[in-house]
Amino acid sequence: MDSVVTLRPPDKASALARFDIYPAYLRRLDDEQISTPLAAILALTELIENSNADTMFELVKALNDGAEELKRRASNPISLNAGCELFTAFVTLFPHDSANFADLKRELVRQGQKYAVEALTYRRKIAELAVGFIKDGSVILTHSYSRVVMQTLLLAHERKRISVFVTEARPRGLGIKTAEALTAAGIPSTVILDSAVAYVMEKVDFVLVGSEAVVESGGLINAVGSNQMAIIARAANKPFYALAESYKFHRLFPLSQYDLPSHHSKILSFPRPETATSLAKDEHGKKPSVRITQEQISENNPDVDYTRPDLISLVFSDVGSLTPEGVSQYLVGMFAG
Amino acid sequence: MAPELRGSASSHRAVETLAAKLRRRQVVGSRAAALETVLVLRQVVSKARFSNLEQLVSIIRSAGRTLVEAQPKEHSVGNTVRKVLHHVREEYHTATRETTKPSFSIAKFVSQGQPRKQATGAARTEIKGILKDYDTSDPDAFAKMLKPVLMEAIQYVLDELETVYDNVAKNAKDHIHSDEIILTLGKSRTVEEFLITAAHNRNYTVIVAETALRKYEGREMAKSLSSAGISTFLVPDSSIFALMSRVNKVILGAHAILANGGMFAITGSQIAATAARAHSTPVVVCVGQFKITPLWNLYHEYGALDFGNPSDVLRFDEGNLVDKVDVVNPYYDYVRPELIDAFITNDGDHPPSSIYRLLKETYDDEDTEL
Repeated sequence: MDSVVTLRPPDKASALARFDIYPAYLRRLDDEQISTPLAAILALTELIENSNADTMFELVKALNDGAEELKRRASNPISLNAGCELFTAFVTLFPHDSANFADLKRELVRQGQKYAVEALTYRRKIAELAVGFIKDGSVILTHSYSRVVMQTLLLAHERKRISVFVTEARPRGLGIKTAEALTAAGIPSTVILDSAVAYVMEKVDFVLVGSEAVVESGGLINAVGSNQMAIIARAANKPFYALAESYKFHRLFPLSQYDLPSHHSKILSFPRPETATSLAKDEHGKKPSVRITQEQISENNPDVDYTRPDLISLVFSDVGSLTPEGVSQYLVGMFAG
Repeated sequence: MAPELRGSASSHRAVETLAAKLRRRQVVGSRAAALETVLVLRQVVSKARFSNLEQLVSIIRSAGRTLVEAQPKEHSVGNTVRKVLHHVREEYHTATRETTKPSFSIAKFVSQGQPRKQATGAARTEIKGILKDYDTSDPDAFAKMLKPVLMEAIQYVLDELETVYDNVAKNAKDHIHSDEIILTLGKSRTVEEFLITAAHNRNYTVIVAETALRKYEGREMAKSLSSAGISTFLVPDSSIFALMSRVNKVILGAHAILANGGMFAITGSQIAATAARAHSTPVVVCVGQFKITPLWNLYHEYGALDFGNPSDVLRFDEGNLVDKVDVVNPYYDYVRPELIDAFITNDGDHPPSSIYRLLKETYDDEDTEL
């Protein structure tokens, strides 16, 4: 991250070319370590760099427009949203006494970049916190691929003996990536079918998952299958822990699964019924068979689901271990009042 | 470590004496342990020589560490040290506010909320003049200016500990109604004071379980309650579930409250709480706030419970059984936060879900590991 910030002078013709925030966002995401909210924050700082706003009102409007653009074009807007809202709220509430607006913009960009650097240490902090809950000889169940969970498991492996079950997490199959990385590090791990979670739950000591976002109710938004796991864990009386960095706290309050912004009409829809002519029997008197492809299945199914707060035992974050209710305290502090 | 040696030899000795007493379990009871800890810390701070905050904090921390390691199961010792550290930092920040400007960043925004909220808090100190760190001309100037305020802060902690029973019992009559039947367990000073205070205004009945494995301390409780004029029944532990349908409230004491809202309490509390949940009877815990511990994961460790003498369960002269059987006599139960309805503390009533909030306000995060 370079700490020298330059602002384009507002009267050059090149500045009139619209700053396209989406490619900037994608560029930031190229770095494996940067997660979507951080990439959003960094893209917004680039927007400030390239903005010719002269007042706070204009700047905030530009930020909001940029955030809308990102939301429109990104495939998974929830955690991106969390990052955008955090940064916009910060900009709005930043105490400034400099009369020079350019100075203020420079300071905001600097703060954004500083935060991104600091935020990369959060995964380590969370791992240290979570390792205190992992006993020697623990059997852990995790879901799909999460960088925070990976760091925690690798850190735990340095000090204790653990073994890990990973769900396959179809259709993306990221669980296989997790199992491969864990096995390469020397941790005994195996991939289980998504449908085998209930089968394996009795052998497990606790469930550990990452997160896309933690919402105001204290619930969790994560790759689809997390809710299922939490329900089964509750039925088998096993603890369910979620790991989430604090920039993933989001001011949503979903009342049901279908209340999420990522829900759209294609999910769980029934394919259009064939018209009578196309289902006409061919010359041998047999109906043509209907083929359903894997792509169709992926399209019709959700990417993320919502887990209720009463199913979650604890949320581990860089601000400490929190009960799910504790998350709303931070959100209220930032956005309300 | 240099800062440690700068404290005078006598305060170091005071720490060692208390550590020895704790190790030999000569200090009995959480409140007694907390009181002794505060007195020792007061000595340590008054004799300490330091020229900036970090040195003072490390002096207090190392004394605290010695005490906690002497008796790790007595959580009130560590809690008191953390509380004193919190007050020390608070007083320091109030006193030096004129010289330092708070810096604001996104990370601070997340953990502390909106910026204008950071600037609240009335100064409780009368220090005039600006405190400087590292004043080379007079290395003790910093210490001299800060010590009176610190002594005041420690006195505040001491006063809070001394008035615990009165404050918990303050609103006792609002929690117990006339003609109610209360169930309690064993002998807890806090619960005893609570019930006796309520008896001044209300007529009610108490059922006391005798807690056989703790040398029948329930019997002493029953005796003291009945001499205060409360109609008391003494029952064996096995009849707790059987009587639960007649009970209106369960009032328990606690040994330590954990950060998730669960608690360690005397053996039998888990039975009483589970039986109460099965009958939808409220479970209320009377406890001083010095027992709230910022530790989250103790309940995973079987060894976090203290263990008593197995011969209380099965004596050696009971012959044949002794070498065929493994006897375990746990001193405490872990009760889950879902089974508890409210904590009545010396500073208000709280549900288990807001214990973590009290923790954030009372202790600093960096002191969780001393």
